[in-house]
Amino acid sequence: MQGKGRASRLLGCVVVALLLAGCGSSLTAATIASGSVKVGLLIPQSGVLAAVGTDISRGFHLYLSQHGGLLGGRKISLVTADEGAGPDTGVPAGQRLIQQNQVGVTVGVVNSATALGLIQPYNEAKVPLVIATAGANALTGVHASDYIWRTSFSNANLGASMGDYVAKQVGPGTVYLIAPDYAAGHEQIAGFQQAFQAAGGHVAGSAFPSFGATSNYQPYLARIQQSGANAVFAFFSGVEAISFVRQYKDFGLSPEIPLYATGPVTEGNVLRGEGAAALGIRTGLNYCTELNTPTNRAFVAAYGAAYHDPPTVFAVAGYDAAHVLDKALAGATSGAQVVAGLRQLGDIDSPRGTWRFSPTHNPIQQYYLRGVSEQNGTLVNVLAGKLTNN
Amino acid sequence: MVWLIDNFITVVDGVAFGLLLFTIAIGLSLILGVLDVLNLAHGALYLVGAYVAVQLLGGRTASMWAYLLALIVAVVIGLGAGTGLAVMMRPLARRGHLDQALASLGVALVAADLLSAVFGNEVHTVPAPGFLAGKFTFLGYTYPAYRIAVILLGLTLAVVVYLVVERTRIGALARATVVDGPMVRAMGVDTRPFVAGLFAFGTVLACVGGVMGAPILGAYPGLDQYVLILGLVVVVVGGVDSVLGTLFGALVIGQVEVLGVSLLPKFASFLVFATMTGALLLRPRISRLQAVAA
Repeated sequence: MQGKGRASRLLGCVVVALLLAGCGSSLTAATIASGSVKVGLLIPQSGVLAAVGTDISRGFHLYLSQHGGLLGGRKISLVTADEGAGPDTGVPAGQRLIQQNQVGVTVGVVNSATALGLIQPYNEAKVPLVIATAGANALTGVHASDYIWRTSFSNANLGASMGDYVAKQVGPGTVYLIAPDYAAGHEQIAGFQQAFQAAGGHVAGSAFPSFGATSNYQPYLARIQQSGANAVFAFFSGVEAISFVRQYKDFGLSPEIPLYATGPVTEGNVLRGEGAAALGIRTGLNYCTELNTPTNRAFVAAYGAAYHDPPTVFAVAGYDAAHVLDKALAGATSGAQVVAGLRQLGDIDSPRGTWRFSPTHNPIQQYYLRGVSEQNGTLVNVLAGKLTNN
Repeated sequence: MVWLIDNFITVVDGVAFGLLLFTIAIGLSLILGVLDVLNLAHGALYLVGAYVAVQLLGGRTASMWAYLLALIVAVVIGLGAGTGLAVMMRPLARRGHLDQALASLGVALVAADLLSAVFGNEVHTVPAPGFLAGKFTFLGYTYPAYRIAVILLGLTLAVVVYLVVERTRIGALARATVVDGPMVRAMGVDTRPFVAGLFAFGTVLACVGGVMGAPILGAYPGLDQYVLILGLVVVVVGGVDSVLGTLFGALVIGQVEVLGVSLLPKFASFLVFATMTGALLLRPRISRLQAVAA
């Protein structure tokens, strides 16, 4: 008799709990409607891309501290979550931000697979996701959606930025393409290849070492030498960039075979880890610390004072994410209104120059050519020119 | 033959990696073979050695003195860790192998977490020291000088360990203890300092291996598991009964990890375990052949 009563009470509790969980989205709207706004910062705090996560966080925090902790006049309460190394940890972490922490907006996401996995949850919950590094083309391409915005770059655009320049440098020669075997690697190479071949370039071959599992690139470097290529175009990120660039020098490919790459190969502490092996690498990226604009000079100075490090493109993406939210959160009482605010933004004055959102929420921006050289004993990406915009 | 010439450097690199693996695996093999203890803290000890290298050699360039200091510090830490582990294992000997393995696993997890707390979660790279940071060019091939040093060091170590185990009294004592421990003790030989000494030898090799491997593999959370798994696979493939067996196993796995990944990149993650499975399946047949030959 007593057991039956307890069981039915337990069942009742379970039903109520399920109902409360189902009310998640309406609680989210309440989170923006009240004075302060909860913002989720979803970044990798461990693994090969942890340094990128740190940079995004620093850029975001710098903007917040410069504006008294307010965005859009609203007090911001920040919830930082670890997206881990891939979607198996990243997607649940992103979902927890909506369901358990009830954030009004999430910023960050470095892993593209994670970002792709969060499109549906964030659109369903009507919570804006401002991506600050994940480069998958589909996020603002085939799977573009109302609530997904990006302040960094798409892989195709980044890869394509170097196509014309490398074609002119190499002339009738051939280029070998190499990137890790995951979405970002394939998309950047595909973007580059399209622009490169359209400008008359010839490809000697390509290789895609497994992502996160390769620390010895010697077999691939051997294949590059065997192919007879005149130059190499590469994309790597984090520790893989460090390993690849150092081994590129160790095994004698540098400086005989010039190395061109997209920016992440020589950004931030990756450049420190590579050391002298990185000298002479020319990269294309939507940011350069040496840009001589008042906005950038002020940003670099403030960032250096706060963190004793030069800023990176990832920090700029985090900084600009805070900037666009500052404009869009003003007077917004729901995720839908934040999105409407983002749509109305025109040109954004950023350390990287002036940019604006495309109709599919991706930045339309200038890409810059940089070259690694030594200045006052430290390695710097020196501004070498502007790349033709695609 | 043409294929060998094309992939010559890759094969050499496989030998270098294999000899680095030998440094790690021989300690594991000796502790398992002679003492019957599965030391799962071996990978963590490698990582400690790697972080010692990060601390003393970190930066753009490193001097030979810093490298030698790192090696000495690794030996000291290895001695301390080995003695500590041996003392910890003694009361557990009565409770069986599983308890000993679990205790060492506990040590490994705690050590890895402490290292993460102190050094952070970032990946650290270490430059090769002094003149070894250069390149070696022959027959049109370029190869890092440091990896050649690793090959020479690994070969020297293999020779030294082989001679000690097969040709000295201590080695004879080790082999006797494998066969019949109680009898050795009945003969009046106190096996306790011997056990501690052998443990320390194994752990010193793991730590030194970490310093040696740092310019090649770096140091980061998770590296301890990678190294431990490869070490265990080497021990399975090479067997625990002989130094030459461990050397053979290490060279095979070294080639699989380097040459195999180059030739079959799609199966990179599976190659090592496929080799181990193959070795396990072929082992009874080989033992039977050896018994017949003897």
